[in-house]
Amino acid sequence: MADETGAPGVTARPLPEQRGSGRPTRLPGAADGVRLGVSVVLLTAGIGLSLVVIGTVVVLLGPEFLLWLDGPVVRAWQTVFVAIVIQGIPFLLLGTLVSAAVSAFVPAWVFTRVLPGNPALAVPVAGLAGAVLPGCECASVPVAGSLMRRGVTPAAALAFLLSAPAINPIVLVATAIAFPANPHMVLARLAASLATSVGMGWLWVRLGREEWLRLPKGPAGHAPRAGRLEEFGTSLQHDFLHAGGFLAVGAAAAATFNVTVPHSVLRTFTDSPWLAVPALAGLAVILAICSEADAFVAASLTGFSPTARLAFMVVGPMVDLKLIALQSGTFGRGFALRFSTATWFMAVACSALVGWWLL
Amino acid sequence: MAAVKRNFQVLLLLLTGAGLLHIALFSDLYLRYVKPGVRPLLIASGVLLVLLGVIAAARDGLPFSRDEPGHGAHPGHDDHGHDHTKGPRIAWLLYVPALLMLLFAPPALGSYTASRDDTATTSAAGTFPALPAKDPVALSLSEFSSRADWDTGTSLRGRTVRLTGFVTPGTNGTWYLTRLIVSCCAADATALKVEMHGATAPPPDAWVTVTGTWRPTGRVGTDSARPALDTATVERIPEPSDPYKDLPRVTAP
Repeated sequence: MADETGAPGVTARPLPEQRGSGRPTRLPGAADGVRLGVSVVLLTAGIGLSLVVIGTVVVLLGPEFLLWLDGPVVRAWQTVFVAIVIQGIPFLLLGTLVSAAVSAFVPAWVFTRVLPGNPALAVPVAGLAGAVLPGCECASVPVAGSLMRRGVTPAAALAFLLSAPAINPIVLVATAIAFPANPHMVLARLAASLATSVGMGWLWVRLGREEWLRLPKGPAGHAPRAGRLEEFGTSLQHDFLHAGGFLAVGAAAAATFNVTVPHSVLRTFTDSPWLAVPALAGLAVILAICSEADAFVAASLTGFSPTARLAFMVVGPMVDLKLIALQSGTFGRGFALRFSTATWFMAVACSALVGWWLL
Repeated sequence: MAAVKRNFQVLLLLLTGAGLLHIALFSDLYLRYVKPGVRPLLIASGVLLVLLGVIAAARDGLPFSRDEPGHGAHPGHDDHGHDHTKGPRIAWLLYVPALLMLLFAPPALGSYTASRDDTATTSAAGTFPALPAKDPVALSLSEFSSRADWDTGTSLRGRTVRLTGFVTPGTNGTWYLTRLIVSCCAADATALKVEMHGATAPPPDAWVTVTGTWRPTGRVGTDSARPALDTATVERIPEPSDPYKDLPRVTAP
C-alpha cells in the first residue's frame, strides 16, 4: 500500500518540486543533514508550541485543571492506554511483516492453487489455515488485507481474519493453562471459534456485497527483484504506521471504558444465564484484551457460567474496540461496523450452542 | 510540505522504537504495563522500528539511490484511491503513546483501579499445606487471601504474618493492603485486597510492609469470609520495580 504522503518508496523520489527550491545541488550527506536539521527544528517548534498552548490553558483554567490532569483517573487512563498499545505493537509489527512479505514476495497464483476455487469450499480451508499464524488479533488484520489484495476471495480472507487470533496454538495452550480443571474448554473454544469464522465466511458468500468492502489497494507485485525489496520496506512502513494509528484510537476507546465503567455493573448479570452470556460477550468488546491473555481473564471471572466465559473468549479475538478501529482503517468504517455486529451475534450464538453441547 | 510530512513519519518510527527501547531495554518501566515475558518482543519491536526509521531516513537522504532499475515502473503506486490522506493522518496519533513512553512513562496502576474492582477469589474451600514454623511468616497477598477465605484447616490461626502491598483507602476510615494482578497487560488488572485494622491509614498508593495477625470474619469457605488483618507494625517501603508481581496463587488440594 502506498500513498502520496506516506510512502517513502513513492515520495522519496527526487520530485522536481522538492529539490528545485532554489538551492544549489548538494551532496547527499549534506542533504541528509539539512533534512534532519529541518525536522528537528520543526519538532522542537511543535513541542514548544504545544507547551505554550498547554501553559495558556493551565493559566486560564487554574490549578483545578492541573489537579485533574494529575488525578488518578487520567493517570490510570494513560497507563491502560500505553499498556494496550505496547501489548499490540509487537503483534501489529509481526502482522505487517507477514502481510508485507505476502504482498511483495508471494505470487498470486500460490493462493489460487492452494485455495479451492469455490468460495464456499475456500472458507473452511482458510478458517483452518488461521491456526498457523501465531499472534493475537492485531496481526491478523493486515494479513487479511494483503490476502484480499492478492486476489483471495474476501469470504475466505475474512474467515482467516476471524479464526487466526482465536485458534492458533499459543492461544489454545494459554486456554489449557488457564482452565486446568476443565480441558473441555479448549475444545469448546476451538469449535466455537472455528464455527463462528466459517459461519461468517459463508454469510459473506451469501449476503456480502463488494461495495461494503473498501478493498485495500497496494503494490501490484510485478516489480523486478530490487523493486520488490523496496516494495517490502515501503508497505511495511506504511501499513505499520497506518494500523498503529488505528491501534491508538482503539486503545484510547478501550482505556476510556476500562477506567470509567465499574466492573461491578457486570455482577448484576451473573444470576441469569440468558443475560450472563451477552454480558460477558459485551465485556470482551469493551476490554479489548489480547487473545493470548483473555483466557486468564475469563478464568478469573468466577460466578459466571462456563458458557458465558466461553463467549468471552470467542468474541474477544473477533470483535473488540481496537479491532473495530483497525478494521475501519484497513477495510473502511462501513464494513467494520456491519461485519463486527454480525460477527458478535454469530459468536454469541456459536458459543451458546457449543457451550450447551460440550460444557 | 510533502518532505516535511515524510520526515515526521520517519521520526515517528524512530520515536516509537526509541520509546519501546527506553521502557524495555534501558529500564524496567515496561513492567508497569505488561508482563515480564513480553520484554524480548518489545525489544525486538523497538530495534526493528529504529532500523526501519534509519533505513527510511537514509533513503530519503540519499536521492541518488532512487535511480534503481524497476523504480518508477509501478503505475499502481501513484494513483490509489482512499487511503492516501487517511493513513498518514491517523498515524499522527501514534505520537501520543510514543511520547508518553519516551518522556512521561505513566505510573503503575494503583488505588484508583483497585477501589473500583470487586474481587473474586478462584480457589475452592479445603485444607492448605502447613505454613513454615517461624513467625512472622511472609505471605503473598493471594496466598493470605486464599487461606483467609477458604482454609477450613485455619492454618492462619494464631500466626503472625508479613504482607506487602500498596494502600487503598476504604470507606469509614478503613483501608486495604492491595495488590493488582495482571495476566497480560494493565488493561486486565484485578485487585486483591486485605482489610487492615488497628493502624491509621498511610497515604493512598504508598507501598507498605505490614505485620499482624489474621482477623477472622464470617465463616471460612463462604462468601462472608473476607481477608482481614489486625496490624502490629506498618512500615513504608519504596515501590517495587515489578509492581504487579505477587507470588503464585495457592490452589486448594
